[in-house]
Amino acid sequence: MIQEPPESRSPETRERPIITMVPDVESADQLARERPALRDWMELRLGWWGFVRKNLDEPMPPGVGWWQTLGNLLLTMLVFQFTTGVLMAMYYSPSPQSAYPSVKHITDTVTAGSLIRGLHVWGSTCIVVAMTLHTLRVFFWGSYKKPRELTWVVGVLIFQVMLAFSFTGYLLPWDQKAFWATVVGTRIAATIPFVGQDLLVLIRGGDEVGALTLTRFYAIHVMILPAALMALIGIHLYLVRRHHIAGPVIPQKGAPQPFFPNQLFRDVIVVIIGIGAMFALALLFPPGLEAPADPAGTDFTPRPEWYFLGLYELLKIMPAGWELVATTIVPGIVTIGMLFLPWLDRSRSRHPAKRGWTILLGTFVILMIGLMTLKGILETPPHSAHSAPAEQHARH
Amino acid sequence: MDHETQQPTPPLDAEAMARRKFLGRVVTVLNIAVVGVLAVPAVQFAAAPLKHRLKEEWLDVLGDDELAEGETREVAYTVAVQDGYQKVDRKYVVYLSRQDGEVKCFDPACTHLGCRVKYQSDQHRYFCPCHGGVFDESGKVVSGPPPKGLIQHPVKVEGGRIYVSRMV
Repeated sequence: MIQEPPESRSPETRERPIITMVPDVESADQLARERPALRDWMELRLGWWGFVRKNLDEPMPPGVGWWQTLGNLLLTMLVFQFTTGVLMAMYYSPSPQSAYPSVKHITDTVTAGSLIRGLHVWGSTCIVVAMTLHTLRVFFWGSYKKPRELTWVVGVLIFQVMLAFSFTGYLLPWDQKAFWATVVGTRIAATIPFVGQDLLVLIRGGDEVGALTLTRFYAIHVMILPAALMALIGIHLYLVRRHHIAGPVIPQKGAPQPFFPNQLFRDVIVVIIGIGAMFALALLFPPGLEAPADPAGTDFTPRPEWYFLGLYELLKIMPAGWELVATTIVPGIVTIGMLFLPWLDRSRSRHPAKRGWTILLGTFVILMIGLMTLKGILETPPHSAHSAPAEQHARH
Repeated sequence: MDHETQQPTPPLDAEAMARRKFLGRVVTVLNIAVVGVLAVPAVQFAAAPLKHRLKEEWLDVLGDDELAEGETREVAYTVAVQDGYQKVDRKYVVYLSRQDGEVKCFDPACTHLGCRVKYQSDQHRYFCPCHGGVFDESGKVVSGPPPKGLIQHPVKVEGGRIYVSRMV
């Protein structure tokens, strides 16, 4: 590094540091010559404070506000999911004999078990809500346009990984709801022509949902998906930093503001509200367990997690022989449409009013998914709601 | 030693460039080999359940005299099956139905997506609770999304007992 002349380092000409606690390490040579403080010695080797300062100084275009806090909320919620998930893995045992009793043990006996599992169960719901809002914001703001196409694509992949998390996690308690939702959910694979039956066996680890389905789903849920998610989030964050946040659709007057303090403060407020909601839900509606899985039972009505109810309703209205449309074609088109959205939307402007058919079609799809999900929620019998009171199964 | 003092590498001559290109290819091939040496057994391992072949078993499920003409009843039976790493007694449920003297055995899995259909004897119909499929006594689709009638398992009556075949 070139040694700067001393006059250029006077307070007047130097950019004022945003935070004063960050050590000034602009001249590494200087540090090397003297006997540096431990903080500076570390900084020379790690570059940590430089990294922190760079992120705190991240420029926010004028007009960035509350809508841009959802990414940070999602990241925090995912840290909660990882933590509660790892904790439960200390007590959970993935076999048909032990899965149910171990989850029951977690919920009823282990200290704070109901809260930890409740946070995990409600966390998935909160994440889906926050993820949907995050995606809608990016969609309506047109933030996926050049040069942020790949940020959007990676985001869509993260969305898919989250749905896979939900589907595989749903089976693990091995109660009636878990078992039958998986029997029906995996059958969807069998509707795919030619390879369907083999695909079904591959997903289930056998012809029927059994011991190998449980170990398979467990491995996917706690190893494959977390690894995939971490890689995708790493790329997503790298791209967000590389291209910076897209401002409002109509650029506003004024200079960009650093991320710290205003935007970081908004982020923290939203995180507090979001995490608070998760805790409130976990405490007010503790996670339930239905009867243990009974593969021979005929009197159980399987229902998927609420955010799959839209697909469930779509299956209901499909005429005979058309189930492939509901199981594969419609979700496939929506997913591919989302992946390629940045190239399908050719309009130059990011403004919703100037994106004609993209906004119309997008709004239509969003409304349809919303309506179908609502229809499914309204038709859910209250006793099979996903937050059955814990007392119901706590009787000895 | 400091990253500040590190010198950039000098430009390569033609021979070094050629060497670099050649060794780059060798590294690529070797890396593919390393991935492959793991990927092949990994895929075989994960896809092992595909190799399992089902075989037919005949199971004694009910006395011949326990099923009246025109009656349909739910019958449960257990079969010892290999469930991955363990041998388990897997419980199955079927509907046995005697129509015009002939015994038929219907699988309760709805042909739509596998929910369990429920027989309502007062209406002589099977109802699927999930997506609203309805089947009549002979297993044919009456209404709803199921693409075909209920699956039937082969049945035989021998020595006063009803036997049902099952692929396990």
